[in-house]
Amino acid sequence: VPRVWQVVSRQPILIMLAAVVVAFSITRGSVFLSGGNLTNVSRQVAFDGLATVGQTICLIGGGMDISVGAVMAMATALAIGLQPAGGVPLGVAAALIFGLAIGSVNGLLVVVARINPFIATLGTMVAVRGVLLLYTGARPIAGTVPAFAQFGSGVIGFVPVPTAVFVVALGLAWMVMGRTRFGRNVYTVGASVEAARLAGIRTGHVQFATYVICGFTASLAGVLLAARLNAASIHLGSDTGLLTIAGAVMGGTSIFGGRGSVVGGALGILALGLLGNGMDLVGLDTYTQTATRAALIIAVVAIGSFVSSRAARERLQAVWAGR
Amino acid sequence: MGAMRRGRTSPYVELLREQMAFVLLFVLVVVASLLSNVFLTPNNVINILYSSATLGIVALGQTMLLISANFDLAVASTVSIAGIAALGAYLAGAPLPIAVLAGIATGVLIGLVNGGLVVRTRASPFLITLGMQVLIYALAQMVTGSQQLFTNDPTFTELGRGRLFGVLPWPVVIFLLLVVITEVVLRFTLFGRYLYALGQNEAAARLSGISTSTVKLLAFVLCGGLAGFAGVVLTSRLASTRAGGAAGWEFDSIIAAVLGGTSLFGGVGGTLRTVVGVLVLGILNNLLVLINLPYEAQQIVKGGVFLAVVFFDRLVRAR
Repeated sequence: VPRVWQVVSRQPILIMLAAVVVAFSITRGSVFLSGGNLTNVSRQVAFDGLATVGQTICLIGGGMDISVGAVMAMATALAIGLQPAGGVPLGVAAALIFGLAIGSVNGLLVVVARINPFIATLGTMVAVRGVLLLYTGARPIAGTVPAFAQFGSGVIGFVPVPTAVFVVALGLAWMVMGRTRFGRNVYTVGASVEAARLAGIRTGHVQFATYVICGFTASLAGVLLAARLNAASIHLGSDTGLLTIAGAVMGGTSIFGGRGSVVGGALGILALGLLGNGMDLVGLDTYTQTATRAALIIAVVAIGSFVSSRAARERLQAVWAGR
Repeated sequence: MGAMRRGRTSPYVELLREQMAFVLLFVLVVVASLLSNVFLTPNNVINILYSSATLGIVALGQTMLLISANFDLAVASTVSIAGIAALGAYLAGAPLPIAVLAGIATGVLIGLVNGGLVVRTRASPFLITLGMQVLIYALAQMVTGSQQLFTNDPTFTELGRGRLFGVLPWPVVIFLLLVVITEVVLRFTLFGRYLYALGQNEAAARLSGISTSTVKLLAFVLCGGLAGFAGVVLTSRLASTRAGGAAGWEFDSIIAAVLGGTSLFGGVGGTLRTVVGVLVLGILNNLLVLINLPYEAQQIVKGGVFLAVVFFDRLVRAR
């Protein structure tokens, strides 16, 4: 039992996850807990979940990427829109290259131009949204390759394809962040750029890489979304920026960098997904759902900051007291 | 890096930084009058002022917050829900002054929540106010049932549509008055000095005896209150209001302030400078419409201007 408590106290998000599951199991248990519904939720969160993996890595490294939603939407548009010209391979390749390119631009703006990450990625978000508007002419685009759509809606055993990709990416990211030198470097740079530099880490390279990873996961999410929907629209991903950051922070990642885990971020986005699904089942309208979600995010961010700032104060007082 | 460091001390870059907004304004006016022969007509000039005034009021509050190294991304929702509160109260039979007060009070309340949360929990103003923006937007949709509120009562629309001496629209007069008031507050009051101190170095400000929590809270409340008032003026001008009616103003207000020379990093700036930024944005909007650029291209141009301004700000203020 103490071991369980240790795990829970390290991941407070588990409490919220349990609360959401219990609440909707009581109110809408038979539907909410059905295999079909849970499979659905796992597919719904896979797209934002993939983007959250990259976002969490970026946040741990002391950065932040607001442009993920725009990149995701643009990747979807490219994957669908280029099908008539060059089929699925061209569309998917262009989408992923686009993600890598925008990630590099973000990285350059932050590392070389030293612009505040929030402002820099906000700028690229506006720019990418503009390009998306121009490219699509603000009209939805439909896919022309049935096999691509079948892939996106398909299952491996009983696991939906997007879920499978999400889980594999999460596992890879977990390995990289926990077991490799690069992962350790990201934590070190996020905790203190200055200390990392003095320790001989090429901090600029590490930060740049986190933005490229973040751009890539966002565009991968966009490609899967394209396959799932077999269509693209300019409205996709409008909440993704806020949701991925919220999911990561709810999962214990510090907005100031240096602390967190990709698994926590995945649990955070899963909690938000289950909450949305449960509210759908209970029959709440869109805006009540939006308001509930926003209030929850504010509460989690506020409580998290309060707790960590108090802890920092206590540490400081301990130092002053000579302990 | 070398260029940046030299740039910090070069008097030419210093001058350009100080007067960047004026240079931009001048260039824009010249370009605009070449591109469009109606641009410099008195009517069009008053129109630009008129359409910029409400965003301008929001930008004044945003400027004061930026000087204290904070910002408020919830102002767009604040503007629209304050308009809804004011027009809703008026339609429910409240007298005009009460309706106006209801709008301002809504903004003040939101500022209190924003500031209270940021001060008490030391959370990043970015996540708190962005969350509030979404929350208030959803609340506004719920309160109005996603319907537009409108009126054709001239008493209500006088504030937004009437003109001083039949020439200068009231919103412009109000904006200019508020510019003078806020600039005086920033320059000649303790509170104003404290805002700069807070923005330059919060720890130093606290150690020198300034109640940083109170100053910060007050700055958020002022920003919320001004956004609320702007919402009332906007609603009165349009004779209608709806949830999401001021979409994008959170960024436009920050762009206007930064264009004017207020730093994103706090400690530097002023509301008089923001007027120039507001005018640049207003002319840019006006020009993009006059030359018939499609909406999508307008967005790209604005995004580009935003990035360029931020980049420039970073360049001249490299720390």
